[in-house]
Amino acid sequence: MLKRLNPFVLLSRSAAYIVLIAGLTFTLLPFIYVMLASFKTNAELMRVPPTFIPETPTLDNYTTVLTDPDISLTRIFYNSGIVAIARTFLTLLISSFAGYLFARYHFTGKNLFFGMILAQLMIPFQVVMIPIYLLTVKMGLIDTLWALVIPMLIDAYGIFVAKQFVESLPGEVMEAARIDGASEFGIYWRIVLPQLGPALASLGIVTFMNSWNDYLWPLIVITSSEKRTIPLLLVWYSTQHGANQGRVLAASIITLIPIFIVYFLAQRWIVEQSAQSAFK
Amino acid sequence: MLASVKNLFLQAIGTHEGGRLTAHQRRFAVLGLIPILIWVFVFVLFPIFWVVLMSLFSYTPIREGGWFLGLGGNNPFVGLGNYIELFTGMTKSARIFRQSIGNTFLFSLLAVPLSVFTALPMAVVLESVHQRVKSFFRFVYFLPVITGSVAVTIIWQYVYAPNWGLLSQLFKFLGLTPPRSWLSDPTQVYFGIPLAMIAVTIVYVWVTFGYNTLLFIAALQGVPTIFREAARIDGANAWQEFWLIIMPLLRRTILLASVLTVISTLQQFVLFQLLTRGGPAYQTQTILLSVYQNAFVYAENMGMAAAMSIFLFLILFVLTVIQFRLLRTEWEY
Repeated sequence: MLKRLNPFVLLSRSAAYIVLIAGLTFTLLPFIYVMLASFKTNAELMRVPPTFIPETPTLDNYTTVLTDPDISLTRIFYNSGIVAIARTFLTLLISSFAGYLFARYHFTGKNLFFGMILAQLMIPFQVVMIPIYLLTVKMGLIDTLWALVIPMLIDAYGIFVAKQFVESLPGEVMEAARIDGASEFGIYWRIVLPQLGPALASLGIVTFMNSWNDYLWPLIVITSSEKRTIPLLLVWYSTQHGANQGRVLAASIITLIPIFIVYFLAQRWIVEQSAQSAFK
Repeated sequence: MLASVKNLFLQAIGTHEGGRLTAHQRRFAVLGLIPILIWVFVFVLFPIFWVVLMSLFSYTPIREGGWFLGLGGNNPFVGLGNYIELFTGMTKSARIFRQSIGNTFLFSLLAVPLSVFTALPMAVVLESVHQRVKSFFRFVYFLPVITGSVAVTIIWQYVYAPNWGLLSQLFKFLGLTPPRSWLSDPTQVYFGIPLAMIAVTIVYVWVTFGYNTLLFIAALQGVPTIFREAARIDGANAWQEFWLIIMPLLRRTILLASVLTVISTLQQFVLFQLLTRGGPAYQTQTILLSVYQNAFVYAENMGMAAAMSIFLFLILFVLTVIQFRLLRTEWEY
């Protein structure tokens, strides 16, 4: 097809780019401004008329945050990290195993059981957070990092996806393995799991990020400052140092860096997963 | 000899649909799933039962109650009392709750068109450009989605800071006078909508814009190019192509995106808690915020909070059923 460079095509082309750039500006402007502001002194931040690029750039905000004796940044990062890793790892394991079992085995009550798991999709967390909180208290898990992992382990959506995926795998491979003497669990571990790789990667990244960014549930169950996760720390920090906006922004940037790195490296999976999840 | 062949045979057909499994395999499956069943029971089914039950009591965990989950005894059974109180009572929390229902619906009403109908044209535009360009823009647009809600609110608190925040300074730069406060002035109301609510909605749109765009891109890719080429051959320009071909085909996706957005707006907590905490003058108080506050901040009546969450659940349940229905029907082109 010959591309005719008539003025109409040119106009709609540039209109397209105008729209794209407008969206880009809307999306990026807050980020850019915040990043620039984190290098400004408090005096310069409040100045009228405003400056865009810092005239007296300073690293003070960052050094203050990083050397603050009141908070142990490494500890908080560790909390968020270990919770996210544990939750992602366990959730993937359980989802893939359950999906495998539901896909390949039949037993009485299987559909009822699967239905119960899917019920979780209809019940949003906020509705049951009160009883789950009381359960957590009764289990003695309040103010522990486990409280952030255990109630979140079963991901109905993950099981659903895993089941569909396993169902699409050819059964001959598994039967061959069975005839060769592999145990049932061995079939799962050595044959099915590797095949699930890409699907699990997408699910895992999203679970990781949801865990990392979660605020409501940690707010409810974590009470001591050493067990805080990053979102809790950020909120605390912004109320403590509210008068010094530059520092608060620097703290936010610091906590955003790991997430941005993960996003940059894994964007394909994240984007792919998000697009598919709506249609399931 | 015959038995082992039979076993081999049984094993081989064990995984077929409706085929017979050995007892060993069946045991394996059930054993593997029992822990999961227990978990689902403890953390999904039991809590929903508990919260319904709790809503029928005047309950707080501090008081000594009866033997079953602390209900009864000093935490008396009130039947539908909590619900009646919420919808007809004159106490402060009841009145705030009723206001929160209106606020929540207002928020959804604002968010859906803004979020869905900005994402749709953007997706169309993105689909029409070169792959590299498209990947780049998609990467950028999705950034707010993966930035945690807390960081988002801190960034936007700075944008909305009175006088020296980004938005106020932008206004001054353009020669306009910015409002005294974006988030905490209850007198700023436009067409019956509080400015604070508009401000929070814009943050929400900023966050979810990338996600909805992605949704529409996926939907657009499902539209067979035959239709669009046929339209082009018939002489339609880009504008006509959009309205007469794409829009009708994407109707179901638009509906789906709208339902998903409403469901998501009902579950927004961080934005309202950290940007406005329901203020000013309860103009941005949402149902979920009320649930949280009544359950964990003013712990006088968790039963009341439970009743609020059941109300929220009913709304969400209906919406989720609609969502599943939309997904189940044939996607015919």
